[in-house]
Amino acid sequence: MERRKFIQSMFSASAVAVVATPMGAFAKEEKKASKKGPNDMSFDDAVKAITDGKEVKDSDKVKLSVPEIAENGAVVPVKVNVDHPMEEKNYVKAIHVLNTANGNARCADIMLTSANAEGYFATRIKLSKTQEVVALVELSDGSFIKSAKSVKVTIGGCG
Amino acid sequence: MAEKRKSMIKIKPKKYKVGDVVKVDFIVIHPMDTGMKKDKKTGEIKPAHYIDSIKFSFDGKPFTTMKVWESVSTNPYFSVKYKVTGKGKITVDYTDNQGEKNSKSKKIKPKG
Repeated sequence: MERRKFIQSMFSASAVAVVATPMGAFAKEEKKASKKGPNDMSFDDAVKAITDGKEVKDSDKVKLSVPEIAENGAVVPVKVNVDHPMEEKNYVKAIHVLNTANGNARCADIMLTSANAEGYFATRIKLSKTQEVVALVELSDGSFIKSAKSVKVTIGGCG
Repeated sequence: MAEKRKSMIKIKPKKYKVGDVVKVDFIVIHPMDTGMKKDKKTGEIKPAHYIDSIKFSFDGKPFTTMKVWESVSTNPYFSVKYKVTGKGKITVDYTDNQGEKNSKSKKIKPKG
């Protein structure tokens, strides 16, 4: 009796396993395919599009403030402060807010002028999962500096 | 017809003089759909609908322009700084990817 039971259980278990694995795999693939956004862009492509292959330096001048842990990924406050003069010929040209793991890596591009008087920008963004937020700053002389910080996301906010 | 959206411009602090640097906050009620979320009632995927460009100008002269994608939160908030140069009007023009165009303005009245 024991042997029969053992064989029975073995067969049923293997059958379940065989049926379950491909189904699961298919379901996952479908989910991935349907989650493509209209203008998806990877982080590396986004950086290339902005800098055109130029070197990007990490700098203390860029102060990026984001929460360390975001309970709700749908609303993550982001604040960027750039410690750089805003004169007529020497100013912060643009601030790009990027993420590393959303479908579309670009969040917002802000083109500033000397009338702003301070390199400052704040907004709220959506993050799908735990990842880094990057502030890429373009100065008027054409150089790029950046600062990155990781954010832990408990509940994703991209649907 | 473009849908009228609720939006708001806030100047902080409330009292300022010529030469002061103030914060200009712009808030707009907008769904900012990513094109990935399903409608809870119908079960269909909602098409992408997000603000894609914003222009801040003072008396017709633009001082900040923004390009925005769907990764920005629902009912977005944007804040920049601005140096007050005199009396005038700050106008924010914004368009979304479905062609909706709107604008909002606020008078600037420096004291002293």
